[in-house]
Amino acid sequence: MSDKKIDYEEITKLVSFLEEKHLTHFELEVEGFKIKISRAQSAPPSPMKIASQEVSSVEGAANSAIPSGPVVIEEENHLHFITSPMVGTFYRASDPNSPPFVEIGEEVKKSQTLCIIEAMKLMNEIESDVDGIISEIYVENGKPVEYGQRLFAIQLLVV
Amino acid sequence: MFSKILIANRGEIALRVIRAAKELGLKTVAVYSESDRNSLHTMLADEKVCIGPAKASDSYLNIPNILSAAELTKADAIHPGYGFLAENPRFAEICESSGITFVGPQAAMIKLMGNKSLARQEMKRARVPIISGSDKVIEDLSEAKKIAKKMGFPVILKAAAGGGGKGMRIVRTSAQLEEQFNLAQNEARSAFSDPSLYIEKYLASARHIEIQVVADKHGNVLALGERECSIQRKHQKVIEETPSPFVDERLRKKMTKAAEDAARYIGYQSLGTFEFLVDEKKRFYFMEANTRVQVEHPITEMIYNVDLVKEQIRIAAGEKLSFSRDLEMRGHSLECRINAEDPETFSPSPGTIDFILLPGGQGVRVDSAAYQGWKIPPDYDSLIAKIAVLAPSRPEAIRKMQTALEMTTIVGIKSNLPLHLTILSDSDFTAGRYNTQFMERYQTKNNNHK
Repeated sequence: MSDKKIDYEEITKLVSFLEEKHLTHFELEVEGFKIKISRAQSAPPSPMKIASQEVSSVEGAANSAIPSGPVVIEEENHLHFITSPMVGTFYRASDPNSPPFVEIGEEVKKSQTLCIIEAMKLMNEIESDVDGIISEIYVENGKPVEYGQRLFAIQLLVV
Repeated sequence: MFSKILIANRGEIALRVIRAAKELGLKTVAVYSESDRNSLHTMLADEKVCIGPAKASDSYLNIPNILSAAELTKADAIHPGYGFLAENPRFAEICESSGITFVGPQAAMIKLMGNKSLARQEMKRARVPIISGSDKVIEDLSEAKKIAKKMGFPVILKAAAGGGGKGMRIVRTSAQLEEQFNLAQNEARSAFSDPSLYIEKYLASARHIEIQVVADKHGNVLALGERECSIQRKHQKVIEETPSPFVDERLRKKMTKAAEDAARYIGYQSLGTFEFLVDEKKRFYFMEANTRVQVEHPITEMIYNVDLVKEQIRIAAGEKLSFSRDLEMRGHSLECRINAEDPETFSPSPGTIDFILLPGGQGVRVDSAAYQGWKIPPDYDSLIAKIAVLAPSRPEAIRKMQTALEMTTIVGIKSNLPLHLTILSDSDFTAGRYNTQFMERYQTKNNNHK
């Protein structure tokens, strides 16, 4: 690399390398030529400063499903975010002994239940509003969530 | 005492409650909407929870989200501030049934005072003077005509469930009655989903004077003088002062006694305000009671040297009234409400505050959630700062306020600072000669400009 200067193609390669390795920041210095690449992190908004909540047993039948809150679509990565439509406690399964509704890498269909948010002693099912693959789960089971907080990232299926 | 208090409000009043709570050694939880992410109350509380989008009905009025936030943060009390859920009896009820103390009166008190027609009847039973009017809700136009004819015009139609000037119509002649009756009914229906109206005699040249009351859960009731609130525009107060230049010691004694009697009669247990109309002959009539902390409470705090919000929290925790009966008014206090609005057209002026310099110094108090670089959301009220002063006499207080306002600088948005300076130098204002019609001279002037 030392005998050639960094060109456009080289930079494109670096960018795809960053994406592939899920890196957010990269710096390279070659013979006085310095390049710095960083990309926005798709991390959840800063968590609430709340003492961790004990996981209370999930009681009562699940109530009517609630569409998720405002969604943000990042066109480039085909990522779709499911955000919390309410303040409550996040549960990945219908009861402590059941398996989680979804796991990372799992394919989900529109209207499929992704999680439950308990609010006011009511169990609210949160459904997916798209078809895709779960690429990220931002919240741990039993943790409190606030309005608009990111819960899942779904990789949209490219047609 | 509580250990953690959630403040179900925003803006300057959220900061006011956070200060009181911190001084009492309590932890604080702020709730906020998405458009208030960068608002000061979210930065000054110990914890914060986003409760919804910008629209108030989905955030600051969202009872399930606010209660969930209280539960998740383990707050044991909720302070509602003013506006939003402060006078919602259902919210007070739900708080209590969830084991969270509502910092305010009992839900039944909010319900009673929320219905202006029922409140009138109850005050009549408590022997508090009320303006002549219909004893009950009026059913139809013919009944309205009958009552209005008996009382004589002008009359005022009011929504039973009303407040904030909605569903309120002044009728000057019997020919106007039909049209105004229908308009008021429609307004009441859309604003409060209750079209019930009642009629009162309209006092054109009256003053709006209110009495601050503090009552605990042990039967102690104390009135803390009056606040003169006649400088108002469309039922929105602009400048308040205490003592009122119109109220003498004799009238003050009568009015504070009436307010204490009323609070005792209904069994009121919190901070509250009884609003009266006072005519030229110093006769006073009950108008309504506000079951919450008032925007203008600082002027009472200044002349009595007390903290009403801390007292309100202590009372909610079951403590006995800490104020002594010997409390005395000292000096004169004024408050100006600085709004983000055009001083001539009165239209709101949201936007970013590029630079702000608020006044200070001895006897000057500023309650504000504004800061340089803050983008005022267009979704809520336009109040950006309350500036209050305390001085030994009324002329000195006015001079101090003028000095404070002249040193106030707000760049980036329009504010009503110039309007305040105009009022403060108005010869009728400085002479203390004014009533609720005072602001009309400025509106007329502005209408001529168009």
